[in-house]
Amino acid sequence: MFKRFMYIVAAASFIFGGIAARAQDAGALLDLLVRKKIITDQEAEEVRAELTKETAATSAGKWKLSAPITELELYGDARLRYEYRSGRTAGDVSPPNDWQERKRERYRLRIGLRGVLADDWFFGIRLETSQNPRSTNVTFGDDTSTTSGSTTTFNGPFAKNSDGINVGQAYLGYRGFKDITLTGGKMPNPLVTTLMTWDADINPEGTAEQWKHSFTFNFGGGGVEQAQQSYAKDSKNLAITKTSEPWKLKVDLFANFAQFIYDDVNPENPVGAPRTSGGKLVPTTDAWLLAWQVGARFTFPNNLYAQIAPTLYNYTGNGDTFNGHFVGGDPALSNSDSLSTNQVGINSLLVFDMPMEIGWKIGELPVRIFGDFAVNFEADDRAKAAGFPGKGDQRYAYQIGAGIGQLKAKHDWQLQAFWQQTEQFSLDPNLVDSDFFDSRVNIEGVVVQAGYALSDAVIFNLSYGYGWMADKSLGTGGIGDIGINPLDKYQIFQADLNVKF
Amino acid sequence: MKRIYLSLITIISLMGSAYADRLVIKGSDTLGAKLVPQLAEQFKSQHPGTTFDIAAEGSTTGIAAIIDGTAQIGMSSRRAKSSEIGAASAKGVNMKPTIVAYDGIAVIVNAGNPVKSLTKKQVEQIFTGEVTDWSVVGGSGGKISIYTRNTSSGTYSDFKELAMKKRDYAPGSQKMAGNEQIASEVGRNPAGIGYVGIAYTKAGGVKVVSIDGAIPSIQSVQNHSYPYWRPTFYYTNGEPGGIAKTFLDFTLSSVGQKIVNQVGFVPIK
Repeated sequence: MFKRFMYIVAAASFIFGGIAARAQDAGALLDLLVRKKIITDQEAEEVRAELTKETAATSAGKWKLSAPITELELYGDARLRYEYRSGRTAGDVSPPNDWQERKRERYRLRIGLRGVLADDWFFGIRLETSQNPRSTNVTFGDDTSTTSGSTTTFNGPFAKNSDGINVGQAYLGYRGFKDITLTGGKMPNPLVTTLMTWDADINPEGTAEQWKHSFTFNFGGGGVEQAQQSYAKDSKNLAITKTSEPWKLKVDLFANFAQFIYDDVNPENPVGAPRTSGGKLVPTTDAWLLAWQVGARFTFPNNLYAQIAPTLYNYTGNGDTFNGHFVGGDPALSNSDSLSTNQVGINSLLVFDMPMEIGWKIGELPVRIFGDFAVNFEADDRAKAAGFPGKGDQRYAYQIGAGIGQLKAKHDWQLQAFWQQTEQFSLDPNLVDSDFFDSRVNIEGVVVQAGYALSDAVIFNLSYGYGWMADKSLGTGGIGDIGINPLDKYQIFQADLNVKF
Repeated sequence: MKRIYLSLITIISLMGSAYADRLVIKGSDTLGAKLVPQLAEQFKSQHPGTTFDIAAEGSTTGIAAIIDGTAQIGMSSRRAKSSEIGAASAKGVNMKPTIVAYDGIAVIVNAGNPVKSLTKKQVEQIFTGEVTDWSVVGGSGGKISIYTRNTSSGTYSDFKELAMKKRDYAPGSQKMAGNEQIASEVGRNPAGIGYVGIAYTKAGGVKVVSIDGAIPSIQSVQNHSYPYWRPTFYYTNGEPGGIAKTFLDFTLSSVGQKIVNQVGFVPIK
């Protein structure tokens, strides 16, 4: 009798324990009670129906998901930002040493769904504000009027012209082979990168194949060791023991391969004569960015780790947007003429990149040192095509920095600083970070960042960056927010309030 | 004038009494094809004047009929889904299930098929299309032809849940309107496989395969040792009343459960 009572009490407390979605969980328990003949099938059905009714009334119970979805995650973030950004002309151009400044209040919204499907398939979609591949920000009040050609349309205050929602990510993939992930679509960047080579907002389009395998090497130690034995007064052996942490090395080997569609030609085969531009044939092949990355992460005892991810980038095909020869500005030209030179060409780029990071803990505080090194093996050709045949040595890019702290929970904090230099012919200026330093190359400078978690979901960040021209005989290639080339000096300050969900 | 009032009262009384003796039952083909009509016949012999309107078009239609108030009893070979119970609640309908019989869903193959038993994993693989040839599961070879119920059937979704981990049926599976059609097709097709309620396993040309060594029987279903068993239900809007309650009580009575057994279902006790 007592046993039966205990079963019923346990069942009742479990089933009516206050959590909404109990109906399915309770099924096994009800079955158990039926098998033990404590309740009948009919009684179990009545409880099941009542629970289902209660569950259906909750917000979770009203969501309907198709059967193949085995897991679904809603996530996203919203951010409010104040930004000051400025750039200065060089001293030998007109007007000399003149600052262009931009202050703006901005917001961004990103909302996504990640799902796991039956049979090892998965998918993801993310909606984002802004059409810019390197930014999801929208500037408040920047759409009061729009200009198309010679026509200006007044939209009024608080207009919605720049507040559109765009598909930032749309991908699907398969994890059915051991250690391998295959992904296709517009995806989160599958490569290990830094802000030096890739803006974090870019979601590349194409296919990716990732492999990762972990090895653990045990070098002994650990467990309970018998340190010594002595003879006790009660005639029993007395073992004095001590414990030690096992010395283990975990090695995560990984390889990431990507084939990104950089620029689609439309049409490949036009009706009539082949298309020409400026007397030259327009290319008829799509441009692809190919990446091969292999790497390793070594995790030692006491939270010490080191990671390195050497990568080779190459471009194939031409496309019809980026197929001109990169120039990147010229200090010998007027500012407007310098700006109008080709800033986006992807000719002669065979880039080796090697991001790296070492981290450990001081007490509970994570510390890390990170860096990146890149070299363009075809910089001589790129410089020559730009009209600077003697500048093929401007082929390197470097970054080194340090950070302390983390931003995972309320009251967490983080400080980070880095120095970076990207030479004019070292990297693809269409991919480098758009904040530090204004999407440009031939810039060096420093960045400091501080963050504090006001709650588990709300983070306040301050960032400051200061940069200057690396080689004053060249332009500062790339298209940024500051309409100056070469960009002699550059500053940026950002204050962000982020909400994650 | 007084005469007119009396006539109206008499007519209304007659209409009311006529409606009270008419029982509308909709839903499951599994229950509605044989069991409920035979229960109704026996019931009518004990309750002369009672008329039945039975429509067996799938469990979904029976549950929907209770929600819409177009039937007094909804037959179902599956539990009502949370979405259906939620929709009922929104309309103030209290979906009350009453177990009236058990059913074992038997996996049948052609009588000439050498396969006598399958594992639960093999059944899942066959019906999801992972295994497409009989030779993989001990047969003599040849492409497997899968026969399933149509999507409005409770058996269709029950089998998915019981045997297929809720995965989709193989793309090439053929959907049949009822148990008898599945049994008939499997009986004609040497490479056929399908599932039917336990009441339909006596059809000609088919044989039942054991699942993990268990075959569907009264004992194995009542003690739940056969894996593909399920309760079958009458759904009502709360506690039934009137003729619906009388018929439900009759179904659960010894006479009713005897008919349950005769038709091939498993009595609840």
